[in-house]
Amino acid sequence: MEKPIENVFPAGARPASSPTGLRLFFKKLAQQKALVFMSVPFLLWLIIFKYLPLWGWVTAFQKYRPAKSFADQQWVGWLNFEMIFKDAAFYQVLRNTLVQSSIKLILGFVTAIALAILLNELRSLLFKRVVQTISYLPHFVSWVVAASIISTTLAPEGIVNVLLLKLGWISTPVLWLGKGEYFWGILGASEVWKDVGWNTIIYLAAITTIDPSQYEAAEIDGANRFQRIWHITMPGLKPVIVILLILNIGNILESGFEPQYLLGNGMTVDYSDNLDIYVLKWGLNLGNYSLATAAGMFKTVVSFILLISANSISKRLGGSRLY
Amino acid sequence: MINHKKIAAVSLSVLLAATAVGCSSDKQPEAGTAQESAGAADDKTPVTFTYFSFSKEKDVNSNETVIGKELEKQTGVNFKMEFAVGDSKTKSGVMIASGDYADVIVPEGEIDKLLDAGAFIPLDELIEKYGPNIKRVYGPYMDKFRQEDGKIYHLPFSANQGYITDPGISQGAFWIQRSVLKEFGYPTIKTLDEYFDLIKKYKEKYPQVDGKDTIGFAAFAGVKDNFFALTNASMHLAGYPNDGGVIVDMKTHEAKVYSAGEYEKRWIKKLNEVNAQGLFDPESFTVNKDQYLAKLTSGRVLGYFGYNWLVGDATNNLKKAGVDEKRYAPLPIVFDKDIKDQYLDPPAFVNNRGIGISVKAKDPVRIIKFFDNLLKEENQILVQWGIKDQTYTVNEKGRYVLTPEMLKKRNDPEFKRSFGFQYFEYSWPRYGNNSILKDGNSYGVGNQPEVAEMDYTEGDRKILQAYGAKTFADMFSKPDDRPWYPAWSINLGQGTPEQIFGQKSQDLQLKYLPKLIMGSPDAFDGTWKEYTTEFGKLDSKTYEETITKVVKNRIAGKW
Repeated sequence: MEKPIENVFPAGARPASSPTGLRLFFKKLAQQKALVFMSVPFLLWLIIFKYLPLWGWVTAFQKYRPAKSFADQQWVGWLNFEMIFKDAAFYQVLRNTLVQSSIKLILGFVTAIALAILLNELRSLLFKRVVQTISYLPHFVSWVVAASIISTTLAPEGIVNVLLLKLGWISTPVLWLGKGEYFWGILGASEVWKDVGWNTIIYLAAITTIDPSQYEAAEIDGANRFQRIWHITMPGLKPVIVILLILNIGNILESGFEPQYLLGNGMTVDYSDNLDIYVLKWGLNLGNYSLATAAGMFKTVVSFILLISANSISKRLGGSRLY
Repeated sequence: MINHKKIAAVSLSVLLAATAVGCSSDKQPEAGTAQESAGAADDKTPVTFTYFSFSKEKDVNSNETVIGKELEKQTGVNFKMEFAVGDSKTKSGVMIASGDYADVIVPEGEIDKLLDAGAFIPLDELIEKYGPNIKRVYGPYMDKFRQEDGKIYHLPFSANQGYITDPGISQGAFWIQRSVLKEFGYPTIKTLDEYFDLIKKYKEKYPQVDGKDTIGFAAFAGVKDNFFALTNASMHLAGYPNDGGVIVDMKTHEAKVYSAGEYEKRWIKKLNEVNAQGLFDPESFTVNKDQYLAKLTSGRVLGYFGYNWLVGDATNNLKKAGVDEKRYAPLPIVFDKDIKDQYLDPPAFVNNRGIGISVKAKDPVRIIKFFDNLLKEENQILVQWGIKDQTYTVNEKGRYVLTPEMLKKRNDPEFKRSFGFQYFEYSWPRYGNNSILKDGNSYGVGNQPEVAEMDYTEGDRKILQAYGAKTFADMFSKPDDRPWYPAWSINLGQGTPEQIFGQKSQDLQLKYLPKLIMGSPDAFDGTWKEYTTEFGKLDSKTYEETITKVVKNRIAGKW
């Protein structure tokens, strides 16, 4: 094994002590073959479940009929995209998607970070555990159940109306789920209620990696609690925040589907319908798979552009980045 | 080195497993004994097929019910019965996209989509070979449910053998709580205005029930799939039976869309008025089905429009609980006094609701034999009447009757499930609802005059007496002859302009009707104008022409 490698190559090659290019690649590959082998199944998983389905995108350019062979499909070019971009409903749906996911993104970030910092400041371990457990329990409740809880709570005779009536803040019960303007707010609040605890976990983990001696030093220097949060915890969390932000921007058109579908109704349809519901309606309900694929493709392309720009902006600003 | 080999081996096996998972979606049905011995006569090897229905029910293995057990004894066949959860349109879409079909499918409203996707196998040959009873029952109707290619892909549920009218109201009506009628001495109310006036008077007198506000009128409009429960009312109020999205002129046989028309305006405007008076349940557009049914059984709701089959569980529960005053009585409400109501279905053949065998069926021969066996008259009696002296008895005149205990059980949804009536009396190859058995008894238990008569509670009798009727159906006008009926069973096809019209018009209704009803009366005309303008942009003409064409074809005998 100690045999010098340069003897294998013709004279004039670089010294073996610092291989570069392909040679370096193969050397590393040989050294780390165990790791490489371990990653193969996951790579295959990725290809089979994430890349192979991309083949289905061709249906966007066809008048796709299920149960017919590929050769029998009729090609229509960009017709499906034209139909989408001519449909006024599509723009409303797009607006709703953007607003809903922005609300989800911003609210989700702010509340999760705030909760993580507050939890971190807690002295009583027991209390901390209790708060944490309660706050992430709703994450495990399915949206179907959650939507039922929410609609019962917000019903004209639900607890929210009763409370507000007793406090004298309103004089007649409000039909919360029947007003389009309230929908985004209710959606945002529901998402926070459901996922804040869960989202906190990663920030709490990040906080534990901060060197405790920094806190001690700051304390000795006379920093109060808020100064410690601001100057030590926050900078410590920054890389995690930025990475998650970039990742989530890529998903900005993924505003979710279940809560909108389950909580939305005829009265709020102008605010609740989003891209996923649009795809569902035209694709699965009406069997127009091609149109749905085109809409889905559009979504992917926009997400892709957003992700790349967010990453490059972050790179230029000298911050952490995804790749 | 040995370590490396081990790792390689492990990763290889993981890899293989992953590929296997990736490819397993096209799994072939296992070639079992059932398949090989299918040709043998009366094969009774136990076998379990899958059954999927787009209606809502609890999942069950058919042999866990008494009827299913008996049928298994005869044929060796058990069905794993599954029912759609949530939105059936989504479910059918996923099903088609994945090609993952149960052996037997009851497609309900999704039939067009499934037929279009080629989900069913043609049954002609199977019926020819193995279906003497199928031929007997469906023979006279076969041309009414052949598809365009001349083949039969499903067996409808409406092949009547003889005809007896339905004494009860199983379809649509305006329902009113019996205490309201009683309170005011059973007045005769015919028009929509009278109906709401009565509810208003009652609500003023009794603003609360059990400490909670009385609800004047609750519409079932919170479930998108069932939005017709709100919109169909205007068609009935105008004196037409349920033809779906259109009303068909009796003379010219022209089909006309009534959405966004004068009838709908009158109906919605009335609801808007009623809402302003605080009689309309504001939750009508947000409730799900369970919440709506719970409301109907709470005794707070004074009136609703609906189809009895849509709310059956709730009304049966009320009946079971014996609270007669909180139950509902059907009324044939119309817009004006001179309109003749047409709530009762004319004798009809519904050709687009039925049961089919899917292309993924493991053993179509066994299944068709099961169907055929089911259509033997004794089994048709079993699925409707049950077992003699257990769920019905025969009196000295040879008439099938029920003792009071049997009747009580029969009205209990839980008993109906465990015995299997709930699963077998409908949604399988069967005689039509209005059939008569060979011995002259009615096929449907509820249609047997003796049973209907007996099934009436004290409250029922009081109402019938007050209105001078023998049955509830007597309170309604006799149906006129409509040879095309029902127009809602017309197949529109996938991705056609007609279908797109259907979706877009429903989207508009879903958006505007709540706004119109819940908005202030001053804003009504403005919003209505906006709604009709939007509606005018849709291609209703093509839709109407297509329906008119089929209606005329059907009148000419071409189904």
